[in-house]
Amino acid sequence: MSLEMTMSQPQSRETRGFPDYELPRLVRLTDNLHGTAFFLMKLLPARHMLDRAAADGRLKPGGTICETTSGTFGLALAMLAAVRGYKLILVSDPAIDEHLHKRLLELGATLEIVEKPYEIGGFQTARLDRLRATLEVNPGSFCPSQYGNADNPRAYAEVAEQIAERLGHVDCLVGTVGSGGSMSGIARFLRHLNPDLHVIGVDTPNSVVFGQPDGKRLLRGLGNSLVPPNVDHRQFDEIHWVGAAEAFLATRRLHQHHALYQGGTSGAAYLVADWWARTHPDRKVVTLFPDEGHRYVASIYNDDWLAALPGWTGVLPEAPQLVAHPSDVRPSWSSYRWDRRTLDKVLAEGTSFARDLAEAA
Amino acid sequence: MPGDVISRFASVRLGTRGNQRKENGFGQVNGHHGEILQGVFPDDAGRLHRGLVTLPCNIVSSTAVFRPAPGNLVTVPDDKLKAAEAARLTLDSLGLHDQGGHLTVESTIPVGLGMGSSTADVVAAIRAVADAHGAALGADEVARLAVRAETASDSIMHGDLAVLFTQREGIVLEHLGPALPPLEVLSVNTAPGALVDTVKQPPADYDEWEVQAFRPLRGMLRRAIRTGDTALLGRVATASARISQRHLPKPAFEEINGIAASAGALGIQVAHSGTVVGLLFDPRNPATARHVAEAAARLDTIGLPPARHFRTDAVEVRHVA
Repeated sequence: MSLEMTMSQPQSRETRGFPDYELPRLVRLTDNLHGTAFFLMKLLPARHMLDRAAADGRLKPGGTICETTSGTFGLALAMLAAVRGYKLILVSDPAIDEHLHKRLLELGATLEIVEKPYEIGGFQTARLDRLRATLEVNPGSFCPSQYGNADNPRAYAEVAEQIAERLGHVDCLVGTVGSGGSMSGIARFLRHLNPDLHVIGVDTPNSVVFGQPDGKRLLRGLGNSLVPPNVDHRQFDEIHWVGAAEAFLATRRLHQHHALYQGGTSGAAYLVADWWARTHPDRKVVTLFPDEGHRYVASIYNDDWLAALPGWTGVLPEAPQLVAHPSDVRPSWSSYRWDRRTLDKVLAEGTSFARDLAEAA
Repeated sequence: MPGDVISRFASVRLGTRGNQRKENGFGQVNGHHGEILQGVFPDDAGRLHRGLVTLPCNIVSSTAVFRPAPGNLVTVPDDKLKAAEAARLTLDSLGLHDQGGHLTVESTIPVGLGMGSSTADVVAAIRAVADAHGAALGADEVARLAVRAETASDSIMHGDLAVLFTQREGIVLEHLGPALPPLEVLSVNTAPGALVDTVKQPPADYDEWEVQAFRPLRGMLRRAIRTGDTALLGRVATASARISQRHLPKPAFEEINGIAASAGALGIQVAHSGTVVGLLFDPRNPATARHVAEAAARLDTIGLPPARHFRTDAVEVRHVA
């Protein structure tokens, strides 16, 4: 759509939504560390994607939205669909949280639960197949596709605006990476104002986003079994992989020390941001806390549940283990100098052994 | 608005003694040095507007004198068509449809560099006509008349006020503060001899990322003005200049930017519809005189000797050392 057409369209806030719920509250944690605590971060990209689709006709008034999600993006879509009068069909799998499932139904969403994983591709591929079938039987329906929709990262200009207005110059941005929307979006916007911005992406072991082999992950809401096109790898200076146990412990510490009751991805971001801020006391750090803790009362905020976790020590590492290549990442907190390279470039360097050879040559 | 309402409204503004005229009306307005920020910005309802924040340049100005007379409107020099149109519109808006007169416009603002010469002539003419009839026109009213006369106007009718101004509508989208933090500016004309018709240019066709990218620039600008932070102002100006470079590229942009960065400038700003580039310095920094001299010398070596050196909060010209 041309700019002139865009300008003649009504933008956000002319239809119903939750503008005051979209942006985070800023909290100063230490002298140089600022947290941005979201109620539900996905509300912002979900609303922006629906606005753009409604403006150019991909989404008709009263139309149908189909998406595959088992997390907070589905909740954000359900909230918006409820107040804007859209029909919503969400494709998910049996791992969906029971309370979230009920809440989505209460908001009027239809849930299609894929019962069995594929032998190759697991639930992810099975869900994508079901989504395709759902779109076919609902002609004219809109699929936001948060992993590939460029309106997802662009939505975060509003967060970048808030950070620029409230904090001014920022030296370092730390946040978890899942769809790639928030971190790739905010990093690119802030870097336009500060080319030297240091950007740290937080992933988790067994996520393929930054070059790990795919595997089972206990920590949800970050990482992925596929590499979303919305992840702009060249934005990242540093990547950290944080395991579930340490992320949960850091989530509790964020509550104990700073009275912020947030979810597990917030804990992972806090762990890394706090370490970087401590080791760079003269630099201003801002980090993203994507959702609140209420959904994790029975898990992260339950001591018995934590103690039963595999590999639970109850001790938080002081610092990450710097690795020479993503393939060297261990189950616990590791870090790697990504240096704003593409994923292909990093993977082409192969293992640390190959890298050493290359450097020696 | 029906005609009788306009007349009644006009008569109220034409002074307490009715349509009392002066022998000569006088109007004056300063030029500018391009923009700190120009792009598209949402209003409170989320609708996008083209907007800009001007960098004042008080060392150049336009002056107009208007002598009312019945009949035709005569303008000197006679090629100041937009100023003549603005004078006509102003007379009409005052209900003086049969009134003419003699308008003289003089300007020290160079033409075609993006320093507001056209709008300055227009605003000076509007003010001179209003003054001749004892009418007090507010800046918003002057802006509306200016936009009608020349399609797109700069925000110089608002003086030093820091406003986000919609140049094609003539309205203030956001009042940012009483003034920008003071800056010292080293001015370079990147295309000497080449004239840019600032009004005939098609408006920039920003892509969807750029449309969103103006939001954080606006956010940082608010903070820069609120806290008097010139470093932030330099960052905003440089970021806006970078986007402008995709739409109306300045020759030697990267070289100038490199010189600015290595000479200790806060950043650079451009005339988004012109040819001038300003290297921005902090007048409160004791090292600025040295930085400016260094930058000027290096600009000279790439064949772009600075044409002007001024402070945004002062009128005197200081010569480059």
